[in-house]
Amino acid sequence: MGKVKKKGQAGQAKNYMTRTQAVKKLQLSLPDFRKLCIWKGIYPREPRNRKKVSKSATASTTFYYTKDIQFLLHEPLLQKFREQKVLEKKISRALGRGDVSDAARLERNAARPDKTGKPRYTLNHIIRERYPTFADALRDLDDCLSMLFLFANLPSTTAVPAKMIARCERLCLEFEHYLIASHSLRKSFLSIKGIYYQANIQGEDVLWLVPYKFNQRVVGDVDFRIMGTFVEFYMTLLGFVNYRLYTSIGLKYPPRFDQLKDEGGAELGAFSLEGANLATAETKAIANGEQQGPDPKVQAEVDKLVRQLRDEESAASKADGAAEESAAEAANGDADADADEPNDAIDKFEPAAPGGDVLPQPAYSSSDPSQLFAGLTVYLSRETPRQPLEFLLRAFGCKRVGWDEVLGAGAFTHDESDPRITHQIVDRPVIRAAVADEGDGEDNQTAQKLAANRRYPGRIYVQPQWVWDSVNDEELKSPEQYAPGAQLPPHLSPFVKPTQGQYDPTLPLEEQQTEAEAIEAALEDEKEGEAGSDDEVENDMDVAEDDEDDDESDGGSEEEEEEEEDEEEEEDGDEEEDEDEEATLERQRELEAELTGKAVKREKVDPKTKAKLEAKKALERRKKQEAEELERAKGMLSKKKRKLFEQMQYTNSKKSAEDAKLRQKRRRLEKERAAA
Amino acid sequence: MGSKLTDKKRKQVESDSESDNELANGLFDGVLSQSESDDDDYIASGDEDEDVDDSGSEDSEGTDDDEDENDDGFSSDEIPSDVEHEDEMDKLAKKQEELEITEPGVDPKPRKKAEEEEEGRNYRIEKDANGGERYVYDEIDPVYDSDDTDFNEPANTIGNIPLSFYDSYPHIGYDINGKKIMRPATGDALQSLLDSIEVPEGWTGLTDINTGNPLNLTKEELELVRRVQMGLLPEDVEDPYPDTVEWFTSVEEKMPLSAAPEPKRRFVPSKNEAKQIMKLVRAIREGRILPYKPPEEREKELEEQEEQYFDLWQNEEPRAPNPMHIPAPKLPPPGYDLSYNPPEEYLPTKEEREAWEKEDPEDREKDYLPTKYDALRKVPAWGSFVKERFERCMDLYLAPRVRKNRLNIDPNSLLPKLPSPSELKPFPTVVQTIFRGHDGRVRSVAIDPTGVALATGGDDGTVRVWELLTGRQVWSVKLSSDEPVNTVRWRPTKDAFILAAAAGEDIFLMVPTHASVTPALDQASRDILSAGFGYATNGQQQQLAPGKEPPGKWSRPGTKLEDEGVLIKITVRSAVKVINWHRRGDHFCTVSPRGQRSSVAIHTLSKHLTQIPFRKLAGLAQTAAFHPLRPLFFVATQRTIRCYDLQKLELVKIVQPGAKWISSFDIHPGGDNLIVGSYDKRLLWHDLDLSNRPYKTMRFHGEAIRQVRYHKGGLPLFADASDDGTLQIFHGKVPNDQLENPTIVPVKMLKGHKVVSKLGVLDIDWHPREPWCVSAGADGTARLWM
Repeated sequence: MGKVKKKGQAGQAKNYMTRTQAVKKLQLSLPDFRKLCIWKGIYPREPRNRKKVSKSATASTTFYYTKDIQFLLHEPLLQKFREQKVLEKKISRALGRGDVSDAARLERNAARPDKTGKPRYTLNHIIRERYPTFADALRDLDDCLSMLFLFANLPSTTAVPAKMIARCERLCLEFEHYLIASHSLRKSFLSIKGIYYQANIQGEDVLWLVPYKFNQRVVGDVDFRIMGTFVEFYMTLLGFVNYRLYTSIGLKYPPRFDQLKDEGGAELGAFSLEGANLATAETKAIANGEQQGPDPKVQAEVDKLVRQLRDEESAASKADGAAEESAAEAANGDADADADEPNDAIDKFEPAAPGGDVLPQPAYSSSDPSQLFAGLTVYLSRETPRQPLEFLLRAFGCKRVGWDEVLGAGAFTHDESDPRITHQIVDRPVIRAAVADEGDGEDNQTAQKLAANRRYPGRIYVQPQWVWDSVNDEELKSPEQYAPGAQLPPHLSPFVKPTQGQYDPTLPLEEQQTEAEAIEAALEDEKEGEAGSDDEVENDMDVAEDDEDDDESDGGSEEEEEEEEDEEEEEDGDEEEDEDEEATLERQRELEAELTGKAVKREKVDPKTKAKLEAKKALERRKKQEAEELERAKGMLSKKKRKLFEQMQYTNSKKSAEDAKLRQKRRRLEKERAAA
Repeated sequence: MGSKLTDKKRKQVESDSESDNELANGLFDGVLSQSESDDDDYIASGDEDEDVDDSGSEDSEGTDDDEDENDDGFSSDEIPSDVEHEDEMDKLAKKQEELEITEPGVDPKPRKKAEEEEEGRNYRIEKDANGGERYVYDEIDPVYDSDDTDFNEPANTIGNIPLSFYDSYPHIGYDINGKKIMRPATGDALQSLLDSIEVPEGWTGLTDINTGNPLNLTKEELELVRRVQMGLLPEDVEDPYPDTVEWFTSVEEKMPLSAAPEPKRRFVPSKNEAKQIMKLVRAIREGRILPYKPPEEREKELEEQEEQYFDLWQNEEPRAPNPMHIPAPKLPPPGYDLSYNPPEEYLPTKEEREAWEKEDPEDREKDYLPTKYDALRKVPAWGSFVKERFERCMDLYLAPRVRKNRLNIDPNSLLPKLPSPSELKPFPTVVQTIFRGHDGRVRSVAIDPTGVALATGGDDGTVRVWELLTGRQVWSVKLSSDEPVNTVRWRPTKDAFILAAAAGEDIFLMVPTHASVTPALDQASRDILSAGFGYATNGQQQQLAPGKEPPGKWSRPGTKLEDEGVLIKITVRSAVKVINWHRRGDHFCTVSPRGQRSSVAIHTLSKHLTQIPFRKLAGLAQTAAFHPLRPLFFVATQRTIRCYDLQKLELVKIVQPGAKWISSFDIHPGGDNLIVGSYDKRLLWHDLDLSNRPYKTMRFHGEAIRQVRYHKGGLPLFADASDDGTLQIFHGKVPNDQLENPTIVPVKMLKGHKVVSKLGVLDIDWHPREPWCVSAGADGTARLWM
C-alpha cells in the first residue's frame, strides 16, 4: 500500500490560498492587505475545482495563488504598513492612558519620518514593477483616466480630501495639455453616461469616460477607501506617465501652474507649457493666442530690447506696445517654425511602373485631422459645456476659443461681439417672437450685450454636437444640420466597428434587410396600398400553400440563395409558427368546404403579389428543409459538440434577433415619416 | 670548520662505541670469530672515506679537535684558527702541552692506529662449530647508531609462534646472532606453588616470550594500568587543562593609566566651535534659518517631495508577460444606443421600457435605457457614475479572473460534412405492403434469396410464406401448437428453396411451395435435405457414449408435416431463438440462450450432424453468426462478441461494445464492420480493424433495440428495429480505402408498427437486391417498406 496522502498537502491545494490564510501569512490587517493587492495588482483566482482546493469544510469565497502571496511577502511596503500599525498602536495606547499630550506628540512626530513617525512611502517601484515598459503603462491607462477624471469632478468630503481632488484635477489637465500639444486625441462621443474620449498615444488606444460637469450623486454603498487606494496608485501612475509624455515631446514637466488663473476658473488656461531645454526655453503660448497677457520671460527680453533702444535712440517708446508686437512676432515665428518643420507623416507611395504589388498603407488623408479647427475662432455661449468643448477644439487645432465670462477665465475673448469670431456654439432654443421683437435692435450695434437670441452676421451658429460629429468624421460637417433649433441628426458612436450582418444605422435599410424581411415588407406595403379585406390576403395564402404541396421535391433555387441562409435562419421560430397556424387554418377551411360540397373559395390575385407570395413560400420551404438538414447533422455531433453548437447558435440568434428588431423599428419609423 | 666539527664528534662517538664493542666481545666470546670483507656498511665506509680525506693532516686534526673541545669553555672558535694561520709551530707546541695536561699518561697515536684496523669493519670473523667462517657483528649502540629507539634486551627472534613449540627444548628461541636463548631456570613445583600463594607485586602469571622469565610489571606500569582502569589520564598531571596565560594580550586597555596631567585645551572653550555656533546664530538672526516651521508648510514641502517625477521607464526592458497573469479586461466601448441622441430605432418601446423597469437591477442585461435628448444642455448627470466606477474597482481587485476561450468560429463549421440527400438515396421511406394473418406477434421475418417470397414466423406457431410484393399468403404450416415460432431463416443459396424455422426446442427444415419454385428446384431442395439420412446412421453420432443424449436429434417430423413440406426436425436440448446460415448453406448455427453449455450448436445439413463447439462459454450466448467471407464464427454473449477461427479453432478477437445487454448484431458484407444492437437503446458500429471499442454509438431510440441488419445486396444501408415501434434506416458507407473511416448518416425513421405490451418491432430483414426492408411487429403484422 502506498503512503497515505493527506488532504491539502499536494496538487492544487498547495497552489491556492484563501484570503484569510494570505492575511495571516502576511501579518497584515485586511484593509492593508486590500491596499497591497490593489497596488500590486494581485487578484483572486478561480480554481478549477474549488472542493479540491479548499482545506476547510466551509466554502471559501476567495482564493489567491500561493505564489502571488509569496511575491507579496517581498514587498518593501509591508514594512511600512507594519510601522504604521505600530504608530497607531502607540497613539491609541496613549489615548487609552488619557495622555493626550503624548498622543498629540506622537501624531505630530508622525509628520517627521526621521523622528519616530508616520512612514512615508512612494509607489514608484510598484509602478515600475507592474509596468516594465511604458507601453504596458499606456495599455492600462483606461481605468486610470476614468477614475481620475471622476475624482477631479467629485465634491470634497472626509473620505475624499480636497487635496486629492485638486491633485487629480491637475494631473488630468496636464494630461489634456499633452493631448492638445501632441494632437493625439482621436475620437469623442457624447453618451448618456458622460463623454467618451479616445486618444492614440504612441500607438496605444486609450479610451476613457469623463462625467458631465454636475455634482456627482453617490448612491448605494460605495467604499471610498477602496476607490481612494486606487486613486492613490493611479495618481502616481499618471504623474509618471505625464512626465514621460511631456519629455517625449520636448516639454518640461510639470508645466508652470498659475494659481491665480486657476482660482479664476481658467482650468486648461492655468498651465503654461515650457520647453524642456532651457536654452530654447520659450513659453509655448498654449492658452489663447495673443489675447494672453505678455509672458514674463518675453516681457523681460522685450524690456531689455526696449532699454537698448532707449539707450541708442533715447526715444521714449511705449514699452507695452512694443511688448505686444514682439509677442505677436514670437507667435508668428512659432507658426513659421511649425511650417518649416520636417513632415514626419507617412508619404504616399505611388507605383512608378505598372506590374508591382500594391502594399497596403495607412489611410492618408490630405487634410490633417489634427488641424481640423485650425483657422476658426470659436465662441462658446454660456449654456454650453465649456471644458469638453475647449479641450476638443484645442486638441483639433483651434487656437482661439472664447467664451462667456460666467464660464471662467482664460478665454481668448469674453466679448461676444468680437468681430474675429467665426463660429459660435449655442445650445438654446430659438424664440421667434423675440427675434421679431428686436427687429430694430440690429441698428443699435453700440449695445454692450445683445439679447439672448441675438445673431451676429458673418458668423456660423452651430449646436455643440457639430464639434463632436466633425471630430469623429474628421471633416467639418455642414453647419445647416446643426443650426440652433434644428432637429439634430443622430449622434453615432465612433467606436462601433461595422461587422458583417450586423445592423448599421448609417446604411439604408434596403442594403441590410434579409430577403424574408424584404418580402414581408413589400407584402405589407401592398396590403396597406390595396386596402383590401383580410379575407383576400388569407386566400392568397391558400393558393401558395397548395403550390407548396405540389412541388415538394423542388429544390432548384437552393444554390442561388444559399448565401442568405444564415440570415434567414434567424427568424425561423416565428415564421414556422405562423406557417403552422396558417396551415391548420387552411386545412380547416378545406375540410369545411369538403363537407359542404363547395369548392374552396378562391379569388383572383394580383400576379405581382402572387409572385411575391410564392417567393415567400419558397423561402419558407427552403428554410424548413434546412432546418431538417440541420437537425440531421446535429444528430451526428457528439454531445459536447452539440452543446457548444447550440450555445453558439443561441448567442448568434440572439444578436440577429436584436438586429431584426432594430430593422423592424426602423422600417416602421420610416413608414411613419413617409406618411407624415 | 663546522663540518669538521661534526666529523670530529662522530669520531669521538666511534671511539666510544669501540670500547663498548670490546665489552661485548668479552661477553660473547665463544661465538665470535675472525672474518673480514669489503662490506660497505654505512658506518664503516663513512669512516673509511674520512680516513682517506684526513690522512694527511691526521695528527693536526686530532689535536684540533681536542683543542676545540677544550676551548669551548672560555673562547670562540675563531681565535685559535687565526692563531693557526699565524704560526703553526707555536700552536702545535701549545696543543701538545694542553693535551698532556688533559690526558696524562695516554698516548693518542697508538690507540688511533689500533682503532683504524677495527674501524674498517664492524664485525669479526670467527670460527664456528664446523670450522667455517662466521661473522660476528658488533653490537649496535642503540643510543646513536640505531634507529631503534626502544632498544631492549636481546630479543627472541622466533617470531610470532607459540612458545609451546620450544617446550621440549632447553632453549626458548634465538637472539639476533642466532644464539640460543636458554630457558631460564624455573623453580620447582613447590617454589611455583609458593609463588602462586605469595603473589609478588607486579605478578601477572605470564611468561615473557622474549626471555622466558615470568612477566612481571614494574611499579610504574602498574600505576599506569591503574590510572587507565580508573579512567584517569595515563600520566599523572596536576591540571590537564590549564588556562592559557596570555603573556602578550590582544585586549587593548581602554583607559591607559597615565599619570600625564590634563592638557590645557580640555579646560579652555573651543574657538572653532564658537565660530560654528556664531555662524548659526548669525544665520538665525538674519533669518536664513527659521527655527520652527509650521506643520502645514512642512507638510507641503513633503508633498512636493512626494511629487517628484522622473523618467521611470528610462532604461525599460520589455519583460515576457507572466503566463499566469491575466490582464484585466477593458470595458467595452459604448455602442450606438448609449448616445445622448441615438438613432430612433434604438429607443425602447413602451413595453420594453416597462419590462426593463420591472426587472431586478441585477438581472438587467443593460444598466441603462437608451434615451434621446434633443439638446446637449438637457442631458442630466448619470446617476450611478460613481457606483459604476466603484464596481469596476471592485472587479479589478476582487473578481477572480479566468481565461475563457471564446470560439470565434462559424457554428456551422462544427457540423459534420454530410453527403447530400440525393447521394444517400435510395432508402425505404414508406410502407408498401402489410402482411396480416398471424395471430399474435410476428416474431421473425425473412426474405428468400431470390427476393420473391417472404417467410414469417409468429406466436401462433405457424410459419407462413407470402408473395413479397402483393402480400398474398401462399403457404402456411403450423409447427407447434403451444410454442411460438421464434425464428425463420432461408437457406442463402439459390440452388434450393429451403427454410429453417425454430419452434421451441425443435428446428424444422422445410421446402415451402411457392409459385417460383419449379418442380426441379423443389426436387433439388428435397434431395439436399434427405441426403444426410443415410449418413447419420454411420456418422459421428454413433460414437457418443451410450448414456449421453446427442446434442441434436435429426428425424422426420411425421407424415402430416411431411406432406406440408416440412422434411426434417432437429430436436436440441433447449428452446432455439436464433438461426443463422453459413453462406454456402451446408451449415447453420442455432443459439438457445437458456441452453447453458450447449446453447450454441452448429448443424451440418449434409451429414445431419449437430455439434456443440463450446464446452464452456463465458456468459449467456445471445446470438451467433458466421463471417460472410472468412471461416470465422461470431458468438455474442450479453456483453461481448467473441470471434473464433473455425480452422485454427482458436479465439481471434473479443469485441466489447460496452452495451449492457447485446440483443443482436450483424456483420457487414465486407466483413470488417459490425453493428450491434443492445437492449439499453444503443446501436453501435464497430470497425473490427480499428479497435475493440465502438467506432460510433448511436442513441436515437427511446426503447430497446431488438434487431439490427445490414443490407446484403450492395447498398450502403443498415437498419435497426426497436421496441418503440420504429425502424431507423441509416446510410452507412464503408469506403474501399482502408484509411478512411466509414460515414454513417441517419436517413429515415420508419413509423408504423404499433407498440403492443411494450414490444414494437421484433425483426427486420432486407431485400437481397432492392432497398426494401421487411419488419415484423408485435402488433401481428409484417410490413414491407420501400
